[in-house]
Amino acid sequence: MARRWIRIGVPAGIVTIFLALVGLIGGFTDVYLIGDQISFAALMMILPPFVAGLVAAAPRVEGGERLEKRIPEAAVTAAIAGAAAGATFALAVVLADWIGDERIRAVFINVTPQLMEFVTFGRATMVGALAVIAVSALAGLLGGVLRVAPASIRRPVTVAVIATLLFGFLQRVIPIALDQLSLERDWLYSPQFDGLTWIGAIVVAAVAAGISFLSTRFGTRLRGSVARIGGSGGPAISPVRLLAGAIALGLLIVAPLLLGSVISEVLGTVMVFALLGIGLNIVVGYAGLLDLGYVFFFALGAYSLALLTGATLNAFGIPPEPAISGSLNFYVAIPIVMVIAAASGLLVGAPVLRLRGDYLALVTLGLGEMVTVLVGSPWLVPLVGGPSGMRGITDAAIGGFGFRDPQRFYYLALAFVGLAAFMSWRLAASRIGRAWTAMREDEQTADAMGISTTRFKLLAFAIGGAIGSLGGALFAVKIGSLTPASFQVIVSIQVLGLVILGGMGSIPGVIVGALVLVGLPGLLREFEEYRFLAYGAAVVAIMVLRPQGLVPNVRRSRELQDEEQAQDEWAKAVEEGETPPDIASATGATT
Amino acid sequence: MIGAWRTLALDRTEGGYSVGAWRDFIVQGAAQGAIFAMIALGYSLVYGILRMINFAHGEVFMAGAFGSFFFADAYAQSGFLNRNPVMALAIVTAVAIGVSVGTGVLLERLAYRPLRNAPRLVPLITAIGASLFLQNAFRGFFGPQPYGYPKPEVLAGSITVLGVPVQKVQLLVLVVAVICMAVLQWFVSTTTTGRSMRAVAQDREIASLMGINVDRVIVITFAIGGVLAGIAAVLFSLTFEQVQFTMGFRPGIAAFTAAVLGGIGSIGGAALGGFVIGLLQAVGPPLLLTGFGIPSVFSLRDAFVFLVLVLVLVFRPGGLLGTGEAEKV
Repeated sequence: MARRWIRIGVPAGIVTIFLALVGLIGGFTDVYLIGDQISFAALMMILPPFVAGLVAAAPRVEGGERLEKRIPEAAVTAAIAGAAAGATFALAVVLADWIGDERIRAVFINVTPQLMEFVTFGRATMVGALAVIAVSALAGLLGGVLRVAPASIRRPVTVAVIATLLFGFLQRVIPIALDQLSLERDWLYSPQFDGLTWIGAIVVAAVAAGISFLSTRFGTRLRGSVARIGGSGGPAISPVRLLAGAIALGLLIVAPLLLGSVISEVLGTVMVFALLGIGLNIVVGYAGLLDLGYVFFFALGAYSLALLTGATLNAFGIPPEPAISGSLNFYVAIPIVMVIAAASGLLVGAPVLRLRGDYLALVTLGLGEMVTVLVGSPWLVPLVGGPSGMRGITDAAIGGFGFRDPQRFYYLALAFVGLAAFMSWRLAASRIGRAWTAMREDEQTADAMGISTTRFKLLAFAIGGAIGSLGGALFAVKIGSLTPASFQVIVSIQVLGLVILGGMGSIPGVIVGALVLVGLPGLLREFEEYRFLAYGAAVVAIMVLRPQGLVPNVRRSRELQDEEQAQDEWAKAVEEGETPPDIASATGATT
Repeated sequence: MIGAWRTLALDRTEGGYSVGAWRDFIVQGAAQGAIFAMIALGYSLVYGILRMINFAHGEVFMAGAFGSFFFADAYAQSGFLNRNPVMALAIVTAVAIGVSVGTGVLLERLAYRPLRNAPRLVPLITAIGASLFLQNAFRGFFGPQPYGYPKPEVLAGSITVLGVPVQKVQLLVLVVAVICMAVLQWFVSTTTTGRSMRAVAQDREIASLMGINVDRVIVITFAIGGVLAGIAAVLFSLTFEQVQFTMGFRPGIAAFTAAVLGGIGSIGGAALGGFVIGLLQAVGPPLLLTGFGIPSVFSLRDAFVFLVLVLVLVFRPGGLLGTGEAEKV
């Protein structure tokens, strides 16, 4: 067996090479997070060895016993793992320099002179390579020490680092809010480099660490007393969660006022996707049906709203009036759109929902793709304008008060999100919701218990579809014109991604997922190209490492965790060459 | 039916097709179907063994095409491709196979193996994520623009086989595909490894009790899928003379449909399904839709594939050569 530090360090180095080839280092040397030293590129270079250090310092399992490492041992192992990661990357750099970067660039377009200069710290290649190894070893060391440090230190430090990086990333957002509140901003964000100033970074880190420290110190007591205020017999949610929810809701309401119209535009898109996520969550999270063609309902909602409210065709050479055209008010059209979507959900679902999970996924994917092909095909030009689409969509005005403006649109969308979230929350707690849970967990047993699974599947499909069509209708209002380019299969995958990231079955999770997956890339324009790479990585990472998502649904996470723990025990036993315990009994023991 | 009758009743001046045009459609469909069949085998083998749809297999195919492109391009520039096309294409194909196998095996190791015992939908969702990730990683490596794939001069033009004019590339595609499938059939049915694969496909646990290294068999399965995808990638690139990071998606879906149509898990089924889908894509739209006066029927051919997928899964989920009824749960 290869030495442990090689097994950890070398893959980490390969990850760094991957990041460099994809362009996440060379293209971001001047996107500064802190001062003019810590750029995004630097972060990308430090992160893999840091993680290698974290992993290398993890406790060793020997004969079923966890051997915690002591600090010196952990530090050395972690530093070596970091250095190994650095050495792997440095080797690649030396090799690239030897071959000549312009020759590599003919294949890998991101091996730019800028990248080569950055990764060698602007020095001669050999000196630069040694520097890379040294920096990586240091990063690994820090990771290792952090891993074995006592929790009272580890937690505040982790929170401080994450908060500082988050503030660095939000360099387009927080300064605008400070301006709106007419607060001084130059001490926090450098006017020259856009990122945090060092003073600002230290203040943010200190405040975050302080809050984290206080909350672990006094949090338990505080939580206890808040719980007492709530009293017994109250709602099923704990008061702490209620408080957190209230704060989050407050932030969502004031956000556009603080952040101006450019960011409100992004937030509007986030809300549209949150709405789609809430709809898909009913199908995937509650009922456990994997629907990969959700874009079907999104397109249906957008185009049927356009047709019902009298939008015109964009195509040349034909009359602008579509073959079917209404002249309804937005608020009259919306219920009709939702009924159409629910009905087509039933129609499409009825033959399809008998199928087993993965087949269902592919059939829905096929349906979604058919919609994409059809709306863009020359055949349907007289109805939906084909490739050139439609324009002149209503702005959902109430008595002359239109909602096209980003800030106003945000509130319109937020209202619908609130409505859908409330509906979905009550549904989950109802008899229907319980039937979905039962069906998701064990279809045959649910069937045996007298739940008509086909009926409840159809119901989930129809309700999810109706909410999805609402998302499509709002999207149409937001952009005012429609083209088939907006209705690609990637929409389905994006919505699925945010539901999974947030945690299947969790409504706050959907909002968080939308903010992270749609909001963050929207705010950082430079990352536009990399958003889908991040999506893919996030979906895989969540599924492998944390299947319950970032903000898990309580019951769901219990199910997944138990299963996972049982599997872990099983895998560990196998690894150690023992007889694996029966998975079923392990699950029983932890429930 | 009505569509077909009306199309055939059309005169050439009204937009109908000549006999020669139909013949071309059929040859083109068969060649494309052969490529689909080879990709479909990758889906089918993995499904047979893991009961999992490797959604990212289209990207394994794309990776092979990209890997081979840079070699093909270099050889075209140095003149080697035209001087010694057999040798050059052999090297190019070897590279494509290498890249595809590497991608497939890595995918299995990093994304699927940790989820071996997870609930069924979890690996599928992971595969979707992996597919998106791979596509965009290649976009990051090589940029979003399509690259023109060089074709050796020997393969330009067409020759007449049994009185039917066939493009040389299409002939190559058909011959190579048939050879590959025959070799695969031989491999799975007679070698020891092939027997282990069949054993694992039937019952993983019992197979491991019989002393079969299940993990190794799974890796080999992904590798074989990669080999076929790599060869298919070169054939596909020679046919369409273009590579791009999105090129894996549509052929991937078509191939998956082919695998399901033929009966997923069966080698003969995947081959049959591939040819049927290829023919359907090439002949179906003009035959069934032109008669209704629908403009530019070929833009609808992907919709056609999806329609077939939906219909097969709904009415005969076991596929043409399958057991008729797929398991329900």
